[in-house]
Amino acid sequence: MSAFHFDGLVWHWPIAIYLFLAGLSAGAVFFAIMLKHFKLAERAYLSPFVQAAAIIAPIAVCAGLGILVIDLTKPLAFWKILVFYNTSSVMSMGVLVLLVYQLVLFAWIGSVFSLPVIKWLDGRFHLLAKCLTLLARHEDVITGVLVILSLSLGAYTGFLLSALIGFPLLNNPVLPLLFLISGLSSGAAATLLGGVLMRGNPNGTEVKFIHRIEIPMILVEIMLLFTFFAGLILSGGQSQVAALNAIGEGFWGWIFWGGVVGVGLTLPLAFNLWMKVSSERKLTYVAVTASFSLLGVLLLRNFILYTGQMTGV
Amino acid sequence: MDTSKRRFLKGCGGVIAGVSVYSMTPQPLASNAVGDSEIKYAMLHDENLCIGCNACEDACREVNQVPVGVSRVNIIRTGPYGEYPEQSYRFSRHSCQHCEAAPCVKVCPTGAAYIDKDTGIVAVNEDRCVGCQYCIAACPYQIRFINPLTKVADKCDFCQQSQLTQGLQPACVLACPTEALVFGNLKDPNSALVKALKSKPTYRQKIDLGTRPKLFHVRTVDGEIVL
Repeated sequence: MSAFHFDGLVWHWPIAIYLFLAGLSAGAVFFAIMLKHFKLAERAYLSPFVQAAAIIAPIAVCAGLGILVIDLTKPLAFWKILVFYNTSSVMSMGVLVLLVYQLVLFAWIGSVFSLPVIKWLDGRFHLLAKCLTLLARHEDVITGVLVILSLSLGAYTGFLLSALIGFPLLNNPVLPLLFLISGLSSGAAATLLGGVLMRGNPNGTEVKFIHRIEIPMILVEIMLLFTFFAGLILSGGQSQVAALNAIGEGFWGWIFWGGVVGVGLTLPLAFNLWMKVSSERKLTYVAVTASFSLLGVLLLRNFILYTGQMTGV
Repeated sequence: MDTSKRRFLKGCGGVIAGVSVYSMTPQPLASNAVGDSEIKYAMLHDENLCIGCNACEDACREVNQVPVGVSRVNIIRTGPYGEYPEQSYRFSRHSCQHCEAAPCVKVCPTGAAYIDKDTGIVAVNEDRCVGCQYCIAACPYQIRFINPLTKVADKCDFCQQSQLTQGLQPACVLACPTEALVFGNLKDPNSALVKALKSKPTYRQKIDLGTRPKLFHVRTVDGEIVL
């Protein structure tokens, strides 16, 4: 049995990338909102980190959806998903969340950046300026709804897989939580990486704020991963077989222990703890830590998707 | 600060109201309630009568124009069991179980997978299918596949669109030389199916998942007991 081709495999890596990008988008937005609310307030639009999140979030979610559409066997019929709905289908409800999320996301970006954009417009496109003013006036409502939507989107990527009752590793109540938390941390990493690449101060308030949330989040992620596999192993039967097939010897075992646990969780945690002592943060330090986190989450998505389909009931 | 809080709560209220109204709207085709129809089709595969000749698979392929490389029905052969010359094989039918609570129907985002209310058959609306393959991943029996010609999720429909429209039994049932397959209406107490189900002990696969499948099997008596 090869790692990427085996009996019963239905969904391939494009789905894992889609799940990764959707979670990343939700996480980036979530952290941009937190940055604005707790640290930056009215000056948020000046921060390269908020700017990076505002660029990354829409691109990631649109790219993810693009990959999803291309992966359909009938890509040109994708509009039928938008027309026909089935309330018992996680995918159908997820599409609804994604649609509203994108709308509110653009409204939020419009409201946060209304001031510089209106200034730049300088009296031209009167209607657009008027719309932006209107969005800015309702920014609090938009922000509140967007927080709920981004958390829903992050959890949805897990529920999509946990609805598959034939695969014990996927049909697991911890999975949506695991994907939500790891999606948020990938969003934080993408925001940091984008921010420092856009000449944000690697030792600024934004980086310190995000890093302070990152340590507890990595700890929660480790706890969730432990609960996930301990729960499967204690369930016995095919659940146990599925868990041991996944994290035991073999290609995916290496990916899990080396990639997800080692590079994705342990190293960023170690870096973060190390940085508590000395205070000066350098660009390379922020960029490398963030890249490790991103790589770890991407590997986690692929690992769960493939090993999940490896063992049926 | 107070006004922004109030506004935020208003927004949340709006979302909650919207969601609750939406969930009250009637479900599309994908419903698990199968209605009060007089007909509920099911099938029985007697593994003692089956000789593994694959005539069912060939007949199905011809009647339903199933392309090469995929199949709506397979006979899975296991064994041999026992010592030569007292050896035997076991045959088990691998095809759609026409679940009453079908996971494929539950997950289908467009309602392309649905339960036909008049017959209880789990069917596919080809026009609605977009090929997301969620149903293929959701089916615990792993019997769904993408038809390479139509690009639509395909599977056994008890010949609903071919044989049944002409008042005939499904192609596999007619092709079976040993009459190992019995097809009929579960709600008709005089049907051959109900009589067979009441005279022989049968089993259904993976019923602990709550799928309530309508493909019954009579277990092979030959060979050793397998744990």
